[in-house]
Amino acid sequence: MPIVVNLDVMLAKRKMKSKDLAEAIGITTANLSILKSGKAKAIRFSTLEAICKALDCQPNDLLEYVED
Amino acid sequence: MKNNIKTLTIITWVVLLSTISVLLNDMREFDFNQFKEFQNWASTAGKNESWFNSKNAIQWSYYVISAGLFFLSGYLIYGFSYFLSILKEVENENYFSDNTIEYFKKIGTIFIQYTISILVLRFLLAAINKSTFNFFNELKAEFTFLIPAGLAFYILADIFKRAKEAKEENDLTI
Repeated sequence: MPIVVNLDVMLAKRKMKSKDLAEAIGITTANLSILKSGKAKAIRFSTLEAICKALDCQPNDLLEYVED
Repeated sequence: MKNNIKTLTIITWVVLLSTISVLLNDMREFDFNQFKEFQNWASTAGKNESWFNSKNAIQWSYYVISAGLFFLSGYLIYGFSYFLSILKEVENENYFSDNTIEYFKKIGTIFIQYTISILVLRFLLAAINKSTFNFFNELKAEFTFLIPAGLAFYILADIFKRAKEAKEENDLTI
């Protein structure tokens, strides 16, 4: 998929663990790893909002368009 | 929900067992003596005598067709048994699994195959007995309702396939 989720980069920048983020935004670690691995088909605005709030970043820090 | 499934499972079992007992009773009541004559002929006939004289051929085909009718009833019961498998899947909360779709398709196929085979066998029986076979009269018989039922199961299988795709997409929406 040409949309890449750069969640791990942001997590590294904020020195936060996946588990802590999952707890902060109220989703399971399994779902978070689906999001990180790029298997996710869609992301809810509410989830995006929670991630941006927890990591203090903008959606464009998390999502990137890369042509195949 | 769980209670409903349990009730449905019990009802399905009752239907299955009663159809099996009806089939067994039909087989018991089936007059096998009518073939005695043929068997007697088989044991006494000279070796050079052709078995395929018209009377024997008729008896043989009647025998084969009757056996076929019993076999098909068994086949239909086998189809019914897939309802139990579907109920099991629902009980395990795998509503839109590949198995459920497969079972619906199988039930549909069995219903349609059963009806068509029975129609063909009835036609053959009528041909052997030299009675008249009216296709449209046969279609009025109750069992032909299994054709639309079979088609309905095919449609259900298709709907479940779409539902499975939708569920997968929903599961992968974070």
